[in-house]
Amino acid sequence: MESKLMHVFPEKCTACRNCEQACAFAHLHEGRPTRARIRADADPQQREGKNVLVVCYQCDAAACVAACPANALWRDMKTGAVYHVESRCIRCSSCVAACPFGNMRWEPLRQWPSKCDLCGGDPVCTRFCPTGAIQYK
Amino acid sequence: MIRLTIDGKRVEARNGEFLLALARREGIEIPTLCHHEAVEPAGACRLCMVEVTKAQWNGFSKLVTACLYPAEEGLVVRTDTERVMKTRREVLELLLARSPRAEAVRRLARQHGITVPKYNVDEEGDNCILCDICTRVCSTLVTGAIARVNRGVAKKVATPFDEASDVCVGCLSCARSCPTEAIAFLDDGLKRTIWGKTFDVVACSVCGAPTVTKEHPLWMAQRKGVVEEDFHVCDACKVGKTGQACRKVMW
Repeated sequence: MESKLMHVFPEKCTACRNCEQACAFAHLHEGRPTRARIRADADPQQREGKNVLVVCYQCDAAACVAACPANALWRDMKTGAVYHVESRCIRCSSCVAACPFGNMRWEPLRQWPSKCDLCGGDPVCTRFCPTGAIQYK
Repeated sequence: MIRLTIDGKRVEARNGEFLLALARREGIEIPTLCHHEAVEPAGACRLCMVEVTKAQWNGFSKLVTACLYPAEEGLVVRTDTERVMKTRREVLELLLARSPRAEAVRRLARQHGITVPKYNVDEEGDNCILCDICTRVCSTLVTGAIARVNRGVAKKVATPFDEASDVCVGCLSCARSCPTEAIAFLDDGLKRTIWGKTFDVVACSVCGAPTVTKEHPLWMAQRKGVVEEDFHVCDACKVGKTGQACRKVMW
């Protein structure tokens, strides 16, 4: 297994939402940042430097994997990421309901769940972060 | 490893692998309607017919459903012979006559040059082609609320005695996996009605957006022991909660 990990530095995040745009373009091929698999959660009180990037933690004991009745969530042994196999998915939305962090997201237009799969080992979002708040190293 | 030939291409199959899975892995297109990778193959739609033969069969060949035929040593598979295409067109004519409004059937028929079937078209025919995906998904992966009932022309998919099922959790897996969108349901964000049963949709405890039905998390908690509180918040609000928790720890 590769030893690279997704590193998130909330103190560096300016909530510019470049990562959301990059993710939306990479996975949906359209600029729909609200459906991105990474979310820059801006501080509700608008204090500067208090934004948090919320992206899948690829949990070891993942609730989404436990909840899936169809074994449609598999772990990529190369990157350690849990990825969603669309051809096995029965779209019951159990995984979306089960994730405690909101990183398993429901796409209402396509009626599919979606999650961060680390882009197969080269996360697009990290390349577009201007401050280095999200790094893959 | 088993060695065989598909459309002139030498391929290697795992023991017990079915021809359809093997062909798809090798990038050979075989049309299907009843195939879903989450469940066992059923051979219901008969669209994946292929012609198989062996060198020692002295010219004899037979038509088999690729989704149910296991790979054998020395098998020669053809997916595009005239016999295969004729059978495939015949199946599509029958399916189109039964379900003239089903988009998936119409698209496949069009690809095979059929716009008007030669059989009498059932104008009132519903979209269900009895492919069995919904019943297989529900009985093996969810709660087994629906099944095929009756025989012959009266055969259909339904709950027992057409009554509201007491085990259905309203997850909509059947409707969403249906290739022809034949399963009707209503969902206005407050109530969800499917198979004659009406469910309350739980509103997100933070923003009020609809999440899942009340029965869905109960079934999941019982089956997998997943924490039940996580089900009452929608995915967008859970992101906010995660951010808030992180902020509390960091600053």
